[in-house]
Amino acid sequence: MKRGKHQEALPEKLQRKVAPEARQLRKQAGDWLKQRRADAGLSQIDLAARLGLKYYTFISQVENGFSRVPTEIMAAWAVELGLEPAAFAKHLLLYYEPELHRLLFGAKK
Amino acid sequence: MSVVAFERKPGAGLWSETELNIMVAALNDAIASGNGRGWETGMTEKGDAQFYLLGPLPDQACELCVSRVGGRYILEDGSGRLLFEHQSLALVALHAKAAVRSIRGWTLARAVLLWCTIRHMIHDKVEPLLTESEELLVELAPQLAAFA
Repeated sequence: MKRGKHQEALPEKLQRKVAPEARQLRKQAGDWLKQRRADAGLSQIDLAARLGLKYYTFISQVENGFSRVPTEIMAAWAVELGLEPAAFAKHLLLYYEPELHRLLFGAKK
Repeated sequence: MSVVAFERKPGAGLWSETELNIMVAALNDAIASGNGRGWETGMTEKGDAQFYLLGPLPDQACELCVSRVGGRYILEDGSGRLLFEHQSLALVALHAKAAVRSIRGWTLARAVLLWCTIRHMIHDKVEPLLTESEELLVELAPQLAAFA
């Protein structure tokens, strides 16, 4: 994956410190989602079709770690992957809002 | 020996230099506005090119995504809403530029909502504890005073 040449201009040290956590967690969520989709035997196109999306590009956007699964289609996404929606949402919250997850469910382990 | 440099055929695989220039030029105001904003490129499972406009730090979440699927350019926001699609990248880039402005307001509203939710939760958990301690203190204070 190629990085933008025009990445704007915080000091590099600070960027390395602050940026990675949210992005890395989102990327981990994407990898987890990709694996669950593979387990369900679906392609990105299959999943998009089942979710009623016109294009499958948003599935890729999420799985590449650039976006989150929107709350309004989280339950449907879970069902199509053969997962229980509440457990699916709880697991994603661990990546998307780790602090909120900690407040709601306690420590990670 | 001379090698003729063919430009990558548009419509398949990675973005061409020309395509990237069009998108970056259109979104330059957003990219140059600071706080860690930037852009990245990626691929779908089927090898269709994607361009992501990233929001500010610390999240750097995707605000807009342009994908090229079968010679068409698809513009979506970070929640997967289809904003525009056309065969002309220049036209799609123009719509992307316009969309950035409206997305900024929406992102701010979401951040405020999330912050309020967290504060409300903390308040709900901490407030009863404080009230309980206060009541306990009111009950114990006279007894402690009597001892002293």
